[in-house]
Amino acid sequence: MGDLILKNLTIHYGGEPVVNDFNLEVRNGEMVSLLGPSGAGKTTVLKAVAGLIKPSKGEIFIDGQPVNNLAAEKRSAVMVFQKTLLFPFLNVEQNIAFGLRMQGHKDADARRRIEQILQLTELTGLGRRKVHQLSGGQQQRVSLARALVLKPAVLLLDEPLSNLDANLRQQMRELIQDIQAETRITTLFVTHDQAEALMISHRVCLLLNGRLRQTGKPRELFYLPADPEVARFFGGCNFIQGRVKDGVFRSEFANVPAPQANGNGHLRTATIRPEDILLSPDANYGLHGKIAKTNFEGSATRIWVNCRENRFVVLTSDNDYTPGQKVRIHLPPDKIRIFPCETESV
Amino acid sequence: MNPEPSKASTILTGTDARTRESTSLSTTGVLVAPALLVVVVLFGGGLVLGLIQSLAHFPAADPDRLTFEHFANVLSDPDFLRSLTLTLYVSTTSTAIAAVLSIMLALVLISLSVKYRFVHFIFQIPLTVPHLVIAVAVVFMLSPTGFFSRLALKFGLIDSSASFPLLINDRRGIGIILAYVWKEIPFITLMILSVLRNTGVELLEVGRTLKAGPWQRFRYITLPTISPSLGAACLIVFAYTFGAFEIPFLLGQTYPMMLPVWAYKNYSDVDLLARPEGIATGIIIAGVIIVAIVLSQTLIQAARRRGAVS
Amino acid sequence: MRPIKQNVISTAVIATVGLPFVVLMIWSFSNRWFYPELWPRQWGFRAWDYVFGTAGFQIMAALVQSVLVAVVTALISVAIGIPAGRALGLYEFKGKDLISVILTLPVIVPPLCVAMGLHLWFIKLGVASTFLGVVLVHLTFCLPYSVFVLWGVFSNYNPDYEGQARSLGVSSWKVIVRVMLPLTFPGIVVAALFSFLLSWSQYLSTLIIGGGRVTTLPILLFALMGSGDRPVAAAVSIVFVAPAFVALAFSARYLGGKSIAGIR
Repeated sequence: MGDLILKNLTIHYGGEPVVNDFNLEVRNGEMVSLLGPSGAGKTTVLKAVAGLIKPSKGEIFIDGQPVNNLAAEKRSAVMVFQKTLLFPFLNVEQNIAFGLRMQGHKDADARRRIEQILQLTELTGLGRRKVHQLSGGQQQRVSLARALVLKPAVLLLDEPLSNLDANLRQQMRELIQDIQAETRITTLFVTHDQAEALMISHRVCLLLNGRLRQTGKPRELFYLPADPEVARFFGGCNFIQGRVKDGVFRSEFANVPAPQANGNGHLRTATIRPEDILLSPDANYGLHGKIAKTNFEGSATRIWVNCRENRFVVLTSDNDYTPGQKVRIHLPPDKIRIFPCETESV
Repeated sequence: MNPEPSKASTILTGTDARTRESTSLSTTGVLVAPALLVVVVLFGGGLVLGLIQSLAHFPAADPDRLTFEHFANVLSDPDFLRSLTLTLYVSTTSTAIAAVLSIMLALVLISLSVKYRFVHFIFQIPLTVPHLVIAVAVVFMLSPTGFFSRLALKFGLIDSSASFPLLINDRRGIGIILAYVWKEIPFITLMILSVLRNTGVELLEVGRTLKAGPWQRFRYITLPTISPSLGAACLIVFAYTFGAFEIPFLLGQTYPMMLPVWAYKNYSDVDLLARPEGIATGIIIAGVIIVAIVLSQTLIQAARRRGAVS
Repeated sequence: MRPIKQNVISTAVIATVGLPFVVLMIWSFSNRWFYPELWPRQWGFRAWDYVFGTAGFQIMAALVQSVLVAVVTALISVAIGIPAGRALGLYEFKGKDLISVILTLPVIVPPLCVAMGLHLWFIKLGVASTFLGVVLVHLTFCLPYSVFVLWGVFSNYNPDYEGQARSLGVSSWKVIVRVMLPLTFPGIVVAALFSFLLSWSQYLSTLIIGGGRVTTLPILLFALMGSGDRPVAAAVSIVFVAPAFVALAFSARYLGGKSIAGIR
């Protein structure tokens, strides 16, 4: 077990830099997810850590050791690919034993480890099955077992759940979480599914366009996004502008005490999540608004409210609203997140 | 809208030419029947008639009484055994050499950069070259007065054409083997390449992350992956070289001759009694080849089931 | 892989493939070339003049005969092969595997066996030593070949184009001519080319069934090798191999390398 440090990592692919000056630290025993839309360079980072791609610049340290010049076969990092890529000419047990065999472990100790892993990944009894006889979920588990049995310092998972259907995905998420909690293996996990990242990681690392935007605990990214793009990625869509003066952020929609904010009076943007906005048909406080549109989405209703040249999106479980209705809308100051950077242009 | 379609055009376009659904057997039957008919009548007929002739009394060709004397004569003829041994040896050796070289070539081709795409085109040329042409070229290159002999003389490796080793019309069938290897490498290479292109590269990445070194990856991943296709290709090449005529006819020696040449010599012998024996030999050759091909087909099905080949 | 390695390998492949042709070329353009000279003592066009001139009318006759036989064989192969390839490529039905085996056998079982068996029958039918007999025996191997190529072509063919055309009111016959044929044309040409090539290269089957009356180019080439006139033999070899290059170039351009492996 060890930690993983990526320093100033730049990776080119076909002349274009796919990842630029990327820095990340994954602590021992942590599960960190690399989150971002497809094509943002996440898999590339994983492959660089695994040793399958050579970065153009930067350094990688596994367990304190620099591994830049270490071949993939020698690194203590194992990658699990998006496609399960099980060896079709081997059965389940042989697939799992593959890495051990390559390292020369063939004895009873190896057998024991394989048995343990079969239990851990809920595959007991399936050892003799052929690959094409397995279901999608089972294949995924074999793929995971194959990597875990090697007890690498770092486990690299490349969107392992995106090929599974929704139910299976949930089960697998829980399994991965349980396994990681039990083995405490340092894990870097790539996904484009933000719900997934928020659900199972200790920390989330958001990558947009090859650049790291924000790293932190899931709650931090969700409730305290670093900039509007990060907010939008997590479904935030209400932005207001104002200025900070004398420790208070003033906008036409709300005033927020902001003691830490730099009070030089420049324009700042703030955001509030759709589910935090309060809506009332007949309250006697709050701003005046008119409902533009409503959409029933099952567990909540999405409501677009026009208020003073701005349009707010509100998510509420109350579905008694109709378009055209006049309402009162209130933005609780404690739910408003003011972005740290000044607004250059909107 | 549509005018009433004529029967022929319905047959050709089928009644449900949408997705790969099963349609009525009659529709597909009519489409495939002519081709099957030709093959069954001409090919099947040819073999069956050959079989009958080889089992019939000669020269009466009385269909009611069969005899195995022709086959017995052939199988007990010491020349047959010598020819068979020689042919098996040449086919096996050619296939083995071609297989090894093909594996190397396929591995090289798959990692060639885009600039060298034309090599992919060039190496396939021997596939379409008629056997006679390469046989003629081999004569010009490897005969005692051929190109390589002249080169050897120039570099002082030999002092006269007589001391140039016998490479064609020789005991070991070297010229024949070389010609077969030249012609068959592209076929095997292409079969290997199609497997490698499908899954080869990704599985190798998996191998690398699972701590397998380069030689281990070749032995435990690449070889098992290409084995079924390689095996099938080798069987096909073996079968093909076993029954080929032109190259041994031009490059082989007069005694012992390769089996197909021996069969033809019997068939066209002035002595008409040798004819059925020639045909019988032909049937034996066909039998060996059919067995090899059926084996290769089962290997290909196995590869498909494994998902290694599309 | 480093550039040096790639260069070396590319050169090795080109040299191995090309050497036989270079040797043939040089021989064909040599007037006087004796052992142990590395180059012809005297270059010239004697062999080529002979091949294409009146003195070598035999050669031209054999060439024409080869062309005729091969063209007719190819046309029939394709005509019968298109419906078969279409059925096999577009529909699923029981027995496809069996048909595949049935069609593979003639491609692999040598012409030797089949020709010997057919010979007697053809004699009885009166087609031995005739153009028709030779075409028939060539068809035995060329037809399965073209069915396989067309099977592959139709596997990649999207019949929805036809459905689209028919829903726009085009009649069935027109659909075949205006939709199917143009879309599958390159594949059809490849099938025809390879049938042509296979028939073109036939030696023994032509020899047995043709009985010496139908003389094609390979038969003549054999005789030439026996005569010891190397330059002419070389020139004829080059003429003999020319269609192969055409077929290869065409199929590489329109179907990619995959189809070539499927053949055979």
